[in-house]
Amino acid sequence: MSNILFGLADKQWIWVATVVFASTFVLGSYSALKLRRKTGRPYILGLVTFGWVLQTIGLYARGLQYGGCPLSNQFELVQFMVWSAIAIYIFVGPAFRVSLLGVFTSGFACIFSILSLVLQHWDNPSREPIFGDSPWIETHAALALFSYGVFGVLTLTSAMYLLQSRSLKTKNVVGGLFPFLPSIVELVSINRRLLLMGFVILTVSLAIGYKYFIQDLDSVLTIKLAATIAVWLAYAATLLLRQKFSLSTKKFAWACIGIFVAALLSLAAVNRSTQPNGSHASLATEHSQDAP
Amino acid sequence: MSREHDSFSVISINHEVAPLEVRERYSMDDTKVGALYANLRANSQISESLVLNTCNRFELYTETGEHASEQCVLETLAKAYQVDIEDLKAHLHLRSGRDAVQHLIEVAAGLRSQITGEAEIFGQVKAAYAVSQDHGYAGKTINRVFQKGFQAAKLIRNTTPVGQGQINIANVAVDLAGKIFGDLNAAAALSLGTGEIGEKTVKALRSRGAETFGVASRSQKRAEEVAREWGGIPRLLQDLEMYLPEYDIVIASVGADEAVITRQIIKRCFARRKGRPLFLIDLGLPRNIEKGCEDFDNVFLYNLDDLATIADENLAQRKQAVVDARTIAEQKSEFIWNAIVKRREHEKG
Repeated sequence: MSNILFGLADKQWIWVATVVFASTFVLGSYSALKLRRKTGRPYILGLVTFGWVLQTIGLYARGLQYGGCPLSNQFELVQFMVWSAIAIYIFVGPAFRVSLLGVFTSGFACIFSILSLVLQHWDNPSREPIFGDSPWIETHAALALFSYGVFGVLTLTSAMYLLQSRSLKTKNVVGGLFPFLPSIVELVSINRRLLLMGFVILTVSLAIGYKYFIQDLDSVLTIKLAATIAVWLAYAATLLLRQKFSLSTKKFAWACIGIFVAALLSLAAVNRSTQPNGSHASLATEHSQDAP
Repeated sequence: MSREHDSFSVISINHEVAPLEVRERYSMDDTKVGALYANLRANSQISESLVLNTCNRFELYTETGEHASEQCVLETLAKAYQVDIEDLKAHLHLRSGRDAVQHLIEVAAGLRSQITGEAEIFGQVKAAYAVSQDHGYAGKTINRVFQKGFQAAKLIRNTTPVGQGQINIANVAVDLAGKIFGDLNAAAALSLGTGEIGEKTVKALRSRGAETFGVASRSQKRAEEVAREWGGIPRLLQDLEMYLPEYDIVIASVGADEAVITRQIIKRCFARRKGRPLFLIDLGLPRNIEKGCEDFDNVFLYNLDDLATIADENLAQRKQAVVDARTIAEQKSEFIWNAIVKRREHEKG
């Protein structure tokens, strides 16, 4: 079952958006690596924004069936995370003045989007309203996924830091991506700001979720609760250690990448452990699918 | 393919056709350039002129009357140099029409410079054009060729790696500092030693925005002298460990048999740096900084050989890029020249 908007089904819109992200990634990489040209931010930003608008239409079309955010299965969770990461790049990214961030973000979007489209069992056909009457549960889920989008971009900038640091350490500073990557100090600052942003959003999301959790302790599965707390604690510890300068910038970057990978895996685990057609009377099942 | 001579031409005496001693003979000071301009203007067959006179290149761009040949320009130039015209012809390039436009684009983009891709020439060509324009020596053709030529040269510099990467050691070090710290305003630099190479690096850092400098020497008097001259805080080399954590970039060029900065010193100062990167530039021979210093995260150590290798690689990359850049110059010159020819035909009737 699919929802048609402007002549295309929701998934078709998302496919077209994915093609735009893939084209942006290929064009940007070719421009930097082969033509040795700086990938102009306006041109990459324009393409990524175009893809994001197409994806927004696709997600909106799908959301119309629920009357809310489309966060009912793993396909939708991944798509919403990708959408959030791209939104961060479009609205916050220009302040970072990192010319390659658009190329990296479109690559990230392309990989995850293709994965979610190709693995068809991720998109099980749950098309019922999933958040009950409470808009707060939906806000909790959307914010949690949005924080994952921020952490996704943080993973990309952490990878950029490691690439740049390695190039400088190995003295391999002619050619490759080196001329197009920002300075070490700028990347360290961007990483710290992104972690702080993601952490604050995740904390707000969990605070909202906690309010409902204490009203109905059975509404959240133990595995989901444990995974959520573990992810939050891991990011909190990383942030704290970095603020106290107890963690080197290199270890910080690796930690950001590692936690994000673990968080994605835990998301999949939580999703698998959830009964697909559980009782809707309690929010437990659906809620457990929608957030980390 | 040889082309018919056109009224717009360039005579060039440069490193490609003339050895240094010949270029010395044909170099001109401002007075002589002024006199040459006056003679060119006095010649009724020459309607427009522009002289580009740099330390390594003398070029004369002219637009002559319809029935005039390049001979009248050569005669005027030989007269200015007070040499025989045949002698002059032996040491110059003469190009006209589209070839002259392509030549200008290649010169302005740095493709024909002795150090491939150097950026200074672009400013020199612009300054020469400004002089010609201000004094009314430039007319329709020169204005069109130079204005469009500048756009083409900029395109080449922006879209090919022909000007990318530094090719002298001090600038390579400064470029790397930029890749570590970004804006150099906030980075403090320390020069250990007061030698020439240290001075060049300090100057290069200052030109890229660095403002805080320390100058360390074994003698307080020498440190104060040089700090006054270069601009910075005088430091005693013996107290290095005390002030080292305050600096982000360290340029070491001290005459010493043993390393001045050791792994142990870096380890001790690391905690006080709160994770800020440290860029160590070892320009000393024997080396001033122990190899083990780069074992720490965020400590980047480059010695003379490392910097020289990067400079060589950058130069090689620039030379590789010349082929692509020449293709752009060729296409753009064709386009510019066709537009000029069309306009001339239109004006004729």
